[in-house]
Formats: sequence, structure tokens, C-alpha cells
Amino acid sequence: MREAQPRHTSMRGARGQRPRKGSQLRAWARHHRAMCRDSATRLIRHPLASLLTMLAIAIALILPAGLWLTLDSARLLDAELDESATLTAYLEQAVGDAEAGRVTEALRAHEGVAEARLITAEAGMREFQESLGLEDALARLENNPLPASVVISPRDTAPEEVEQLAGALEEVSGVDEVRLDLAWLERLRRLAELGQRLVLALGGLFGLGVLLIVGNTIRLSVESRRQEIEVVTLIGATHAFVRRPFLYSGAWYGLGGGLLAWMLLSLGGHWLASPVTALAESYGADYRMPSLDWLGSAVLLFSSTLLGWSGAWVAVNRHLADIRPR
Amino acid sequence: MIEFEHVGKRYGGRFEALSNIDFRVRRGEMVFLTGHSGAGKSSLLRLLMRLERPSRGRVLVAGHDIDRLHVSQVPYYRRQIGVVFQDHQLLFDRSVFDNVALPLTIQGMEPHEAARRVRAALDKVGLLYREKALPIELSTGEQQRVGIARAVVNKPALLLADEPTGNLDPQLSTDIMTLFEDFNRIGTTVMVASHDLALITRLRHRILRLREGRLVADEEAA
Repeated sequence: MREAQPRHTSMRGARGQRPRKGSQLRAWARHHRAMCRDSATRLIRHPLASLLTMLAIAIALILPAGLWLTLDSARLLDAELDESATLTAYLEQAVGDAEAGRVTEALRAHEGVAEARLITAEAGMREFQESLGLEDALARLENNPLPASVVISPRDTAPEEVEQLAGALEEVSGVDEVRLDLAWLERLRRLAELGQRLVLALGGLFGLGVLLIVGNTIRLSVESRRQEIEVVTLIGATHAFVRRPFLYSGAWYGLGGGLLAWMLLSLGGHWLASPVTALAESYGADYRMPSLDWLGSAVLLFSSTLLGWSGAWVAVNRHLADIRPR
Repeated sequence: MIEFEHVGKRYGGRFEALSNIDFRVRRGEMVFLTGHSGAGKSSLLRLLMRLERPSRGRVLVAGHDIDRLHVSQVPYYRRQIGVVFQDHQLLFDRSVFDNVALPLTIQGMEPHEAARRVRAALDKVGLLYREKALPIELSTGEQQRVGIARAVVNKPALLLADEPTGNLDPQLSTDIMTLFEDFNRIGTTVMVASHDLALITRLRHRILRLREGRLVADEEAA
């Protein structure tokens, strides 16, 4: 079949003809699909090299992701600790047992108090003796030096609120002193905050690492496809067209690295789960090994893909500038 | 179709590749550009492809000063000129068909229509039966014809060729030139750079002679 060849007499203006909007959009989507497939095929064609790159990305992602998980579970622990934050009101020495009951009622009636439990002087003494093993020494004392006390659980466990409550309860008659030991709780909070910042800093640092890994890989792949880039540029490819396959490669690397990181995190979690639980049980705590939920997994995969894409973007733009057809 | 107005091109500070080039090529004309290597043939073609910009003067294509095209418009400009390279610039990792289809893919042409055009172009250069071959399996002459098919598949109004017969024997060279004449006959403006004087004088088309960056002769077709 021999067909009449180029039939045209006019140049469609040096400004160039662009296809109509609808077909342009379809062509754009078609090229995206083609490049998405093509770049995946290229990765699969060199399975070992691709796997190594993805593994490097995975390792860079695991540290911040693992730290974040640990911190997240520490936050759960923190919430539990909040519930156990209590105040102790020491009653005046002169207050007798009957009066102590009344004072306890008065304390319980306060709006900020969730629960108040009376510990009589004798009960306090018994507990003290048992916990310290000082029965003999204390038995020698003539009078019980311990006052009766009331253990109070506040409704609002925020440190400022608790402190305010303590002040208010000290005004109740019969109460000598209200003690709260929040210093260690405060310290734990500060530690958690430090941890959060550490995770952020590490996340940023290792995210940069992922960018560099992907960037370097894409740079090599741009270099190896230099001739192709020159040719398509010569025959009218736009920058976006040239960039597209590399962006998809970067995204695939990122997604692959994210998946690997997710797998390694799950494996590591399973591996550590039983000793961690056993350790926690020995402290009488019910602590479960943290694992990535759906949202966490989605965030991990999305951010790794995005990092891969951005790394490729930076690398391609840097190197396209160098590649000018000879 | 092509107008050079006192065009000069300087590389670096001193070397003057082209100086004061001034000529016009009418629509539908076929022109040879000749001269020794280093005379400025390639520089002139590179200006037309807008790979370089003139240091002085203006280059107009279809009435537009191509130096004033915005960077983002350059790809669209290049899609309208077909270029045949001496080293044919084929991509060796894909078939003859895919090589010829490349300009259409870049434009985002619908695959069915693109396939029809690719086959028509391959048929024109007599290589339809090799569409599935890889370029490496072809002879030099065949590779050059694939390069030509790629240059014309988009039906460009302007066809440029830089030493298209550089590596070919006389018979193949004549065949290639005949192909260009065929495209010219149906209205394409053709400009071929070649140092093969014996061949191009025989073909009786307008000849522009360059020497050391100057246009020294403009011989109308006999």
C-alpha cells in the first residue's frame, strides 16, 4: 500500500500548533500510563540493582519510623500515668478517726476531686512497716508518728490543674498539707518532648538521605539515557515529557523502599515482641509492642513515594540542564 | 520560508563561525548548502533548529523570528521541522517502528493514527518490511532511511538534512537524494547540507556555498 506522503503547503506558524484540549489531555494521560509501566519494567529488568537501591531507602526510613512508633507507644504509657497521678492530703495529727472520715467526705465533695480514699494512721503504719521491713524499729515507738492521710484522684490530670487543686484542698479544715509529686511526671514529659524532636530531626535527616539515594540513582539513569534524551529533545520533546519516565522511576524506588521498610518494621516488631512483653510484665505493666496501623502504613508509603518522586525531580532538573543536544 | 538577515554567529569570544549570512529560501524550494567541513554548514542548520541563537542578525522561519520564541515554545517549533542527521540518531533499544513513531509519540498522537502514519513513512523509504527490526540489524543506508522516515512522519513543512549521505556509497547517496527530491515535489521545503559537490551539482538545484563562515556563492538551479 503506497500512500500519498506529506501533503501540506503551509507551516502552521512558527509559534507551533498545539493539539486540541481534550485530545491533549488524553495524550497526556496515555503518556503517563505508558511511562508508569515503562519505568516499572526498567526497574524489574535489573532486579538486584533496584532491590539494593530500595533496601538503602528502606534502611534510611526504618530508623525514624521505628523511633516514631516507640514514641507513639510511650505516649500511650504517658496517658496511663496521667490516670495514676494522685495527691496525698496529710491530716493534722490531732484529727481522730471519726473526724478523719468527715474530712474525707469534705474532700470528696470538692468539685475537682474524682476519688478520695482514707488511709488511717494505723493503716498507714502497717503499710509503712510492710514495705520497709522495719517492724522492729517502728514497734519500739510509743506513739504512731504518722498522720492519717487521704489519697485523692483529681478529675483533671493536667499538671497546672492538679497544682491548683492541691492549693484549694489545703484550705479544707483538718488538712495539714497536700503533697503532689509531679516532678517525675514532668521529667517524663520533657523526655517525650525531646524524643519527639529527635524523631523530627532524624526524620528530616534520613528523608534527605532518601532524596540523595534516589537522586544519585536517577542521575546515573539520566546519564545512561543521555542519547535518548538528546534525540527526543531534538525532535520536539518538552521538558515535562523528558522528565516523566525518571519521575516515575523515582516514585517506584520510593514506594519499593517504603514497602521494604514496612516489611522490615513488622518483622522486627514480631521478633522483639515476646521479650519486650516479658520485660514489661516483670514490671507488672501491660505493654504491647507497637506496630504500624493502617494510617501509619499509609503515611509511611505515601511519604516514601513522595520522597522518591522529589529526589528524581531534583536530580533530573539538575542534569537536564547539562544535556544539550550537540 | 527561511530568511537569514545579516546573521553572524560567534562561539566564545573570538571564533566567528558565521558572518553576515544573508539569503532567502522560498516555500517549496530545494536548496543545497555546501562548503568544506568547518565552513559553517552545521552552524547554519543548528541556528535553524534553534539549538543555537544568532549573535547578530535575525533568522526567520515562516515569517517568525525564531530567536524570539520563548523556551517553552521551542519544542513546538521543532515539531514542525523534520531533521535528518548524519549519524541518523536512532535509538538502538527500540524497533524501527518505534523509532519512526517517536515524533508522533512526543506529540501525543492517538496510537492508531500514529501507526498508520509510521507505516506510510516507512513505505515511502522502502522499509515497511523491516518495521519490527532493531536499527542495529540494518545496514548504514537502511538506518539513514529510517532516520529520514522519522523526519518526515510528522509531515513537516521544512525538512533539514545535515550530511545525510556522509557515510554512504555513491549509489546509496543518489537514492537518498532522490528521496529528498520526492518530498520536495509534494511541497516540502528542503535544505540539505552536503560536501559532495559532484553529486549535488548533478541534481540541478539551488546551491549555497559557504567558505570560512561567509556565503560566497548563491547559484540558482540551472
